[in-house]
Amino acid sequence: MKFIAWQMLTGDKAKYLGLIFAIAFSTFLMSHQVSIFCGLMSRTASQIDDVKDAQIWVMDSKTQYVDEVKALTDQDLYRVRGVEGVEWAVPLFKGTSRAKGPDGKFRGVILMGLDDSTMVGLPRTVVLGDTRALSDPETIAIDQVGYKFFFPNEPVTLGRTIDLNDHTVRIVAVVASSAPFVNLPVFYTRYSQAIQFVGRERNQMSFVLAKPTPDISPVKLTQQIREATGLKALTSNDFGWETIWYYIKNTGIPINFGITVVIALIVGTVVAGQTFYLFTIENLKQFGALKAIGVTDLRIVGMILMQAVIVGAIGYGLGISMTAAFFEATKDNLDLRGFRLLPQIMQGTALAVFMIVFLASAVSVRRVIVLEPAVVFRG
Amino acid sequence: MLLKYGMPALAVVAVSLSLLSVQRMTPKVVQAQPPLPPPTAAYANQVGAVGLVEAASENIAVSLPVPGLVTRVAVKAGDAVRKGQLLFSLDDRDLRAELALRETTVALSRSKLGKLEASPRPEEIPPAQFRVDEAKALREDAKVQLRLIEAVKDSRAIKQEDLLRRRRAVESAEARLEQATANLQLLKAGTWKPDLEVARAELRQAEAQVARIQADLSRLQVTAPIDGQILQCKVRPGEFAQSGTLAQPLILMGRVDQLHIRADIDEKDAWRFHPGAKATGQVRGNASIRYPLEFVRVEPYVVPKRNLTGDSTERVDTRVLQVLFKLPAQTSLYPGQQMDLSIEAKKEGR
Repeated sequence: MKFIAWQMLTGDKAKYLGLIFAIAFSTFLMSHQVSIFCGLMSRTASQIDDVKDAQIWVMDSKTQYVDEVKALTDQDLYRVRGVEGVEWAVPLFKGTSRAKGPDGKFRGVILMGLDDSTMVGLPRTVVLGDTRALSDPETIAIDQVGYKFFFPNEPVTLGRTIDLNDHTVRIVAVVASSAPFVNLPVFYTRYSQAIQFVGRERNQMSFVLAKPTPDISPVKLTQQIREATGLKALTSNDFGWETIWYYIKNTGIPINFGITVVIALIVGTVVAGQTFYLFTIENLKQFGALKAIGVTDLRIVGMILMQAVIVGAIGYGLGISMTAAFFEATKDNLDLRGFRLLPQIMQGTALAVFMIVFLASAVSVRRVIVLEPAVVFRG
Repeated sequence: MLLKYGMPALAVVAVSLSLLSVQRMTPKVVQAQPPLPPPTAAYANQVGAVGLVEAASENIAVSLPVPGLVTRVAVKAGDAVRKGQLLFSLDDRDLRAELALRETTVALSRSKLGKLEASPRPEEIPPAQFRVDEAKALREDAKVQLRLIEAVKDSRAIKQEDLLRRRRAVESAEARLEQATANLQLLKAGTWKPDLEVARAELRQAEAQVARIQADLSRLQVTAPIDGQILQCKVRPGEFAQSGTLAQPLILMGRVDQLHIRADIDEKDAWRFHPGAKATGQVRGNASIRYPLEFVRVEPYVVPKRNLTGDSTERVDTRVLQVLFKLPAQTSLYPGQQMDLSIEAKKEGR
């Protein structure tokens, strides 16, 4: 029986291919759009993810997301250090400033001020230079995309200067950082330097970064910090998600992508469903003959489902590999960095595709079940 | 045939490659270590604080009693000084001139007194004596003349007038002798005592004025109040030095053979601190250097936090409890350096 089903399916090559490609493109469209959406959303948490050495972020209790912060007092750092379970805690400055290149081209930049004595939060991927040179006065490390903006079409060299809020700063290292949501250049410098660059404010410490002792879980420690200091404490992961959700709730991006994904889903379902339905209708004679020779309805349903699963699997495989190939091809493009096919999207798309083929086969199955075997011989 | 079996085969290969690609592109979540070790908790239950290293004598901002122009600076930063050693001196030209003037007044008063004390002048005695002797001789002569005329028995032989004149001449000579004797005695008696007292008082006054100018002069020499080291010298010859509390002390000094550390504990954490608590200090830039700290005392008054950036315009509404700890004798620290402290906290409470 399985062999007959397989023969029926591949008998008509045009329909066979048509089915596969309908599903393949629907898969590609869904997985690609969702991947881009996820990549874009995860960019909002880039600066959080780039801090690889601290697991806990402490901030003002009313902070909503990473890009809008109310500074803490310097003394809050020592209060966090006094909380049981904190192995260490260091300050972090995160702010924006305006930088001007040698040709007068200016841009808002994200300025990260890292604790002077430990440099917690420093990106580990150094393209060129030595981040230890940040201990020199008036120096910064710049991310490679920022470098390209300020010095387009020039080889990456060190020692170039940029005007940062009336301070002439020297580039001592070029680093790779995750793409920020608004794609601003990212400057890394020491905490004490950063607060000089941005000018006077009453308080400057944006965050306290902390690490739990080995015997306590990060989540438990965030609770303890909250209780002891009244400040908001989140693990990197939670803070990243909170930031992502802030953007999802407060921007039109998810609606936009959501519409695309839904259309991909509908088009995939309709095209695949229709093709599969027509395919089943055209094979009604064969099914009728099978019925006539005493094949049970269950067997026939099994055959149709098998055909659907085969088509779905091949289509999905081709579609998902197109998405994977796209991200593989663009992985070295700096403007698309961070965009990738997530395993979760792979699984989710698979689920959606099989929903489509089951839905399509369900409609077809109905026609076969109600079919009178005699019909075959009548025509 | 190719299409029939090729498609499933292609799909299998494509899915495998996709899985590989996805796996390869999934970033490895690694918990990185900080580039340099941060200061870590030293006690299970602790209070975190920032500490400022200072001299055991506390840092003394040497001030001066009167403002003035600096003419000489005798020390430089890092010098060890003894108590009373000159640090710097101020312009004293006007006071020197005044002193010279006052000193001449003393000399004048002294010589005036000396003159009064030295009288009578010995050379003046003999002439006076001679005048007494002369008066005596004249009196004797007058007496002789009187006797001669009185010896004449017959009163007709003499003029009554002559007799009277000679008697008067004797009286006159007597009076002149008394005058000369009195003059001699006045001369011999010397200066009148009250005059001497006045002269002595004048001398004392002049001397007191000199002493006052000298005191003023000594106030222009700023000296070390204790034995110690010059931590900072922000005064240079030619500058005008203000007296009183200055944002930038002229000279900062202290005893540095023993260093203390002044810990700022947030008022919200102050309840967790108990006097006598153990503490550990970690050096900034190299958290592996740890010093055990010995509790010295609590400054009982909770003060507004002074920002350690040293910027006085910054206002921070936190108040801090200051606690002093003693550093070990041998450290690689300097006064004014910041340290991260872990102070053991009370067990009870949370």
